[in-house]
Amino acid sequence: MVGEFEFLILSAAAHLGEEAYGAAMREVIETNGGRTCSLGALYITLDRLEAKGLVETWMSAPIQQRGGRAKRMMRVTREGVHAAREFYQAVIKISSGTVWGESRRSRLTGDAA
Amino acid sequence: MKARGAGWRSVEAAAGLLAPVEREVVLGDLAETDRDVWRALGDVLGLAARRQLSLWRNWRPWAASVGLALPASLFLMGCSVAASADLAGALRELDQVQLLWFPLSRLLLVISWAWMAGFVVGSVSRATLWASLLACFVPCLYCLSKWPGEGLSHLRLLVFFLPGLWGVWRGRRQMQLGLGWTVLLAAMAMLTPLMWSKGGWVYGCWLFWPGWYVAATARRKQ
Repeated sequence: MVGEFEFLILSAAAHLGEEAYGAAMREVIETNGGRTCSLGALYITLDRLEAKGLVETWMSAPIQQRGGRAKRMMRVTREGVHAAREFYQAVIKISSGTVWGESRRSRLTGDAA
Repeated sequence: MKARGAGWRSVEAAAGLLAPVEREVVLGDLAETDRDVWRALGDVLGLAARRQLSLWRNWRPWAASVGLALPASLFLMGCSVAASADLAGALRELDQVQLLWFPLSRLLLVISWAWMAGFVVGSVSRATLWASLLACFVPCLYCLSKWPGEGLSHLRLLVFFLPGLWGVWRGRRQMQLGLGWTVLLAAMAMLTPLMWSKGGWVYGCWLFWPGWYVAATARRKQ
């Protein structure tokens, strides 16, 4: 099973789709994940995910806005989707019956009503 | 951050610690975000530190620094002093020319062993060369500070130094050695510790490994 930070990276990449690369993913993780994310942690974890076959990465063409530098693009593989879903379901399952799990459910029910 | 000014130049300088492809990616990421200089520097240095740490999970940096550079520097300092003292003694009695070949051959052994040890250090772990050089320099500096002689006599300790650095340079460039050369070096690698046997047999036998390493890698390359 993937770890918490690996899950955040997979989720950020899935959100960004074809536009998933280092700086954009960091932005998403910091904005939506509510935590700081260093480039070191991001790229080391990305290498680990790639070694596990959960993501694919490749270099883009040089881009003018980046001073003529390329981006390291990434895409979540089918195995990556499976691993992220497994982690997510485990979190949902283990949270059911807890205070934070119930409050989430009641909020969702309240929203629906 | 703005990709100009002294702050950016310091970030670019720090990015020199990264591999070329990763350097470009990281600098590009930093160029399009609004981080301040210190955070950008932290990003770059943090990534470089993590990359270095991940290298040390392999046996190669340990073998090059703790396994060879450190014990070899101690051994070679002893050999350098002994060989240069032998040669100086022989030169004082120049009328007995037949006595010169022995100190000269010992000096040649020291030089070739130092070259080979440097070659192995350079080729086993190029990315952590700084640690191997540190493991070599620290004992040298310590011994130099305690050396009782004056003036040029300090150089006696460091006869091995230049051949060793030459070996590191060639090893780092991944020069391939022919099998004949490696067999010769391996034989010298066996002979040198046996000739001096400084530090005991276990220590001497440990110092055989660079010779076997060059022989084994040459065979594989062929």
